[in-house]
Amino acid sequence: MSKQELYTSAAAKYWRDTLSDRLPSEWRKNVDEFEADITLKKMGKVDHKLFAETRLRMGAYGQRYDNGHRYDGKTVRDIPFPEEFKGPETYWDAPGMQRIKLPWGGLTPDQMDLFADLAEEYSDGICHITTRQAIQLHYIHIENCPSMYRRLGALGITTREACGNAVRNVSADPMTGVSPTEAFDVTPYAQAIFEFLLGHPDAQDFGRKFKIALSGDKEGSSGLVNIHDLGLIARIKDGKRGFEFYVGGGLGAVPYAAKLFSDFVSEEEILPLSQAVCRIYARHGEKKKRHRARIKFLIADLGFEKFRDMVIEERAKLPHDPRWTAYLKDLNKLDEKPSRPAGSGLKCTGDAAFDFWVKTNVKPQKQKGYVAVLVTLPLGDITSNQMRNLADICRKYINDTVRTVAEQNLLLRWVSENDVAALYAELKAVGLHLPGAESILDVTACPGTDTCKLGVSSSRGLAGEMRSRLYAKGAAIDPAIRDLRIKISGCFNSCSHHHIADIGFYGISRNVGGYVVPHFQMVLGGQFQNNGGAYGIGVGGIASKAVPAVVERLTGLYLESRNKDENFRTWVERTGKATIMQSLQDLLEVPAYEKDKSFYVDWGDVREYSVKDKGIGECAGEIVTLTDFGLKAADRELFDAQLRFEGGDATSAGSRAYRAMVLAAQGLLKGKDPDVPENADVVMERFTKEFHDTGVFNDPYAGPKFAQYYFQAHGHRGQGLDKDKTSLLLHEAQLFVEACHSCYARMSLTETKEAVA
Amino acid sequence: MDLQNIQWKIHLADGYSADAHEWFKVFGTWIPDSPEVFVDVADYSHVQDGPVIFLSGHAVCYSLDAVGKRLGLLYERRQPAAEGSNPEKLNESLSSLLKHAAMLESDATFKNKPKFVAGDLKFIVNNRAIAPNNDATLAALKPELEALLNKVYGTGGYTLTREPDVKQRFIVHVKAKAPVTVTEALKKLG
Repeated sequence: MSKQELYTSAAAKYWRDTLSDRLPSEWRKNVDEFEADITLKKMGKVDHKLFAETRLRMGAYGQRYDNGHRYDGKTVRDIPFPEEFKGPETYWDAPGMQRIKLPWGGLTPDQMDLFADLAEEYSDGICHITTRQAIQLHYIHIENCPSMYRRLGALGITTREACGNAVRNVSADPMTGVSPTEAFDVTPYAQAIFEFLLGHPDAQDFGRKFKIALSGDKEGSSGLVNIHDLGLIARIKDGKRGFEFYVGGGLGAVPYAAKLFSDFVSEEEILPLSQAVCRIYARHGEKKKRHRARIKFLIADLGFEKFRDMVIEERAKLPHDPRWTAYLKDLNKLDEKPSRPAGSGLKCTGDAAFDFWVKTNVKPQKQKGYVAVLVTLPLGDITSNQMRNLADICRKYINDTVRTVAEQNLLLRWVSENDVAALYAELKAVGLHLPGAESILDVTACPGTDTCKLGVSSSRGLAGEMRSRLYAKGAAIDPAIRDLRIKISGCFNSCSHHHIADIGFYGISRNVGGYVVPHFQMVLGGQFQNNGGAYGIGVGGIASKAVPAVVERLTGLYLESRNKDENFRTWVERTGKATIMQSLQDLLEVPAYEKDKSFYVDWGDVREYSVKDKGIGECAGEIVTLTDFGLKAADRELFDAQLRFEGGDATSAGSRAYRAMVLAAQGLLKGKDPDVPENADVVMERFTKEFHDTGVFNDPYAGPKFAQYYFQAHGHRGQGLDKDKTSLLLHEAQLFVEACHSCYARMSLTETKEAVA
Repeated sequence: MDLQNIQWKIHLADGYSADAHEWFKVFGTWIPDSPEVFVDVADYSHVQDGPVIFLSGHAVCYSLDAVGKRLGLLYERRQPAAEGSNPEKLNESLSSLLKHAAMLESDATFKNKPKFVAGDLKFIVNNRAIAPNNDATLAALKPELEALLNKVYGTGGYTLTREPDVKQRFIVHVKAKAPVTVTEALKKLG
């Protein structure tokens, strides 16, 4: 048994043996490397911080209480996990969250079956749809991740770069391709951007995450381009396809609207221009101060005109890449087809529940006779059995045409109008027939204090309460209010998109009479439509338990005092923050603890409220340099070489040991120049010049000795060696890689001293 | 087969109506008070055919479960890999389930006290890699399962049926021929 097998279960071995060949080679390599990293981490050979960023880039997050502390309502107690860690202050065995990105929200029935299985076997039987069209599974054990990745990979899904300082899920308006108002279907372009930037060397050295969204049209779209780091809106100019190209949008604590970079970028230019944006962001973006590290801050600091000039200049310098336009040949590859004949019009049945569902959950398609049906998921959750049942329903009525939606629902496209009533009946049989999608009933919430380490207040608890109260009124809610949207985040980070809700909330805490009380800051007048067209105005803090009453009062006021057809945003602006708060005054008072203790316990909880559970977020990823990654790759390669040697494969062990040396040298060089080529001769030449000849690499005691090992190995490249010589090379490679780590540590120390001075 | 990821579900008596908030509260009290490592409680009472209230733990998780539209208490073994022989693992896991069911039956928090049917169980191997849902898995596990269940219900005192839906995990439905209480089942298990 090899060392690696010591750390993996029979099930992990089964999935590896059964599925590895079904993964694209690059994805297989990612998973194999991650599995090796887990083994190395368990052997104590990888630093906590580096392993944290490694797992984050595979979408494996930490989860609340993974620091081993939990407030039980009276005191903070330790959770006695075994003393092993998967990141700074993150216990190895603590349950974690896995984010699985789905480019443009695309999902097939087979993939739905798989999600159902994964949620059962590794999570808690719940699939959670996120506001960026991904799926999250909670309560995951890190050691199950490689098996999960292989099972996903075999069905065309990678989790790579689902988190960390990387290009996140490339999202798109879920109606694209069927929307009656769009310029054209953006799906193939979203797929091309995803494929091009996934693992792209120019997108590996960001200071923070980078989110991309595409939209088929400017108005009425759920593409949300305005809130993204990079956004594209389809446009046809002189009969030619292209995009309005936006940069620098983003929510977070302080929302920034995206800026128009160009009103028309041709389809041939979107990949190179995106690449140039990534290069400028990687090179000039903030790396140390996380709160200033998103591209929106870089643009603000440089000034938009200067940023644009830099990108254009960078674009001009890029060497041609055939992938920029290769995908255009297969633009119709992802075209969808219906599985049933077109219908002949939607008919009301007289069944009030069905008719209300049709009104809120069925959307017309541009293709005559077909509609898109929204499956409302409360709080974005769907159980394994429901997911499996839904997959079977999809197989019956449509093809592989399901999409996740930013409002945490699923969209079934290409439903024949003739099938709508039968589909409703089948959804009802499995509890997926809730009406009210994209309305005030359909409250969006991030995970908040339920599972997120950053959560301050219980966004899901409040959303659940709001939903119950609003659904009790259902169709009786006035249409002017019904179309409003409520979005609730557990903290200021805006994961629910509260800034673009008509009525948004984010979690805060307030001190009342010496007690900490859960509150929400209310944000009014945001706009979800028009690609997240406007941001709301912060109005004031409200005790968590008072929020439902406040919403009731507020919507009542709007109904009473709005001008004819005046929308909510305009009403908020006209009425003014002071008047609105004045009218809520009696609801803002928090009763004394002795009078009403319920205000001191959050929704969805039974413990007295505290902010002591809050941990350090991982959303930002760890700041890990390209050198860190290069040296880790060298460690992994060397580990693999040793395993091969132990397994009797000296030939392959020799070449891998040499390759580890190249990777380590390249890692050091990347600290100076992220574009160091892969070519071993070039790496040797530059290492000699920049590290050896300058004396930078010299060990304080051994001088240039370890570099000499590398020079010798470069002569034979680990090939043609007998067993003894291979064994020697393995030792020398180990010493050289360690010397690279030491050199890097010395350089970092010098930088720190200089910074302090 | 080295049994791992064992789950047992004991069903609640038909007609029992669970107050999710009460269950949330009770599971919450297990976190500081239990010798086992429990982490947190999650409320999924807004969805159907799945967990209702989920108590996450390091080695073992429990939930008020409504899979198959039938309420019950679900025991689930997670990390680290369970040690011992299969009979030992089966005995220990069923015993844990029954002990916790007994605790719930006597918990004063519940206004509507839960009543479990110890003769109505589901045995699940939550691992499709080691236990595909087929006759071969049943044949492999049946002797060990029967050895355990003979103790609880007596030889021939129950039926075992494998879940026929191939998309489901390996599930065995256990039905006792005569009524058994949780306390009696625990006593017989030893």
